[in-house]
Amino acid sequence: MPEDVKTLSIAERLGKVAYRNQGRAEAKPHILVDTAICNSVCPHKCTTYVCPANCYTLDEMNQVHFQFEDCIECGTCMYACDQSAVAWSYPDPEVGRGVNWNLG
Amino acid sequence: MDEKFDCIIVGGGIAGLSAAMTLARADARFLLIERGEWSGAKNVSGGVLWGHDLARLVPQYWEEEDAGWDRFVNHRRLTFMDDGASFSLDFKSDHFNTPPYSGVTVLRSRFDAWLAGKVQEAIDASAVADESLLATDILVREVIKEDGKVVGIRAGDDAFYADCVILAEGVNNLLTRQVGLQTDYVPAEGLAVGVKEVIRFDQNVLEDRFQLHGRSGMTNEFVGYASGGVEGGGFLYTNTDSVSIGLVLGMADLRGSGLKPYDLLNQFKTHPAVADTIRGGEVLEYSAKVVSTGDMRVMPREVYADGVLVAGEAANLVLNAGRAIQGMDYAMRSGILAAETVLEAKGAGNFSAAFLQHYRAALENSYVMQDLRGFQQAVQVLHNPAMFTAVPRMVCDFGREFFTVDNQPTRKAYQILRDVRREHMSYWDLVKLGSRAARAL
Repeated sequence: MPEDVKTLSIAERLGKVAYRNQGRAEAKPHILVDTAICNSVCPHKCTTYVCPANCYTLDEMNQVHFQFEDCIECGTCMYACDQSAVAWSYPDPEVGRGVNWNLG
Repeated sequence: MDEKFDCIIVGGGIAGLSAAMTLARADARFLLIERGEWSGAKNVSGGVLWGHDLARLVPQYWEEEDAGWDRFVNHRRLTFMDDGASFSLDFKSDHFNTPPYSGVTVLRSRFDAWLAGKVQEAIDASAVADESLLATDILVREVIKEDGKVVGIRAGDDAFYADCVILAEGVNNLLTRQVGLQTDYVPAEGLAVGVKEVIRFDQNVLEDRFQLHGRSGMTNEFVGYASGGVEGGGFLYTNTDSVSIGLVLGMADLRGSGLKPYDLLNQFKTHPAVADTIRGGEVLEYSAKVVSTGDMRVMPREVYADGVLVAGEAANLVLNAGRAIQGMDYAMRSGILAAETVLEAKGAGNFSAAFLQHYRAALENSYVMQDLRGFQQAVQVLHNPAMFTAVPRMVCDFGREFFTVDNQPTRKAYQILRDVRREHMSYWDLVKLGSRAARAL
């Protein structure tokens, strides 16, 4: 791997994203995920790898967990999930987090 | 607030702002609502804005001090890649050096904000300066319908009413679904995931490395190893002192691959052909967005209904036919056409679906739908797995042998072609693909 080409981990990449209301402790999730569906009937658990912000993770028991704080509102999980587990909406600037692109 | 606007526009991206500009110039009273803190704060694109519509909206835009755009495109490159090689078609022409340019690179958070400023100037100069408004930082939750007709929107505790609503909400078109123009379940086959980094360089380094002069810029699309065998491709566009580099990955194919888009982005960045152009750069921002691929089967079932029109990517007006990835130009044109239809409807005092279908007709008569319809086959050819697996490998194998000089008897090009073809595809498959591609393009 070339030394002066920076490949970044997902954590480093998300570290370059500006989120709204980042300092606010209580923010409401704008995406609701029924992980009971992910962890019972879903054959692929695709959100755990297609999500560009790694909001969906697997634990050591292979169970799906979702956390919305890193969400960059791309919409991928809404289209990728074919099990009706993802109820997607936009974050409300008043109550949620969401993203502020500086460049876009 | 109970006064009624001529029009409410949801979304302050390119489609919404283009509609707003058109309405402001015609002295119509409108409210544009953008959920970002500023226009562009929620928007991501590749990003090249093609065509001349920008000059229609902002005449002489290129003479502005800070015009929101980055570089004009006069140099284009298409690169086929395998794991260790790349083979490019490269085209550069002075023909593209004169305004209005045929393509400019943009960073949306800046470009959209600049365009919003221009719309505000148009509002200020209009006869109804105090009655039109660009409102940011407000999320529209609901479209209000009365007797089956769209009459306004609800945001927070407030309701706003208008003769007509233009939905320009982008690819995640929740309100378009709410009014019943798109089904809630949109198949992943017509959509893709875009991931991107903006990498900054010293401007002189950038200009030397990419052979840029003044505000000239280049676009580079990549096929093959770029996307790790997943349907899709890569792109690299030069901005003023940065490059936008990323991948667009077929949603359904990515879902079947088990691969992570950001891992593929790392793999793409370290390919020798790419690594040598971005070394030493500083990553400023990582972003991602769903992109529609141009497959018309994911378009809303209609782009108008009683009291409502859909413009830009909310109507999935994006096309990748292998020549250029277009979408922002379609957003601009569809926004203008939607607003012109609203003005006609205002003149006629008729905002029914029967009248608003003029928008559909205008869209069909424009290059937007003519291209989308005309290049559907090309979209399908690009979906063919051979296009992002066998074909790039074949091209690179050919290049490797064609350009090798090793003091052995040298084979002629046609012999090399014949052999690399044998290795990667049956002759029949190649003929089929070739003839489909020839007809599609």
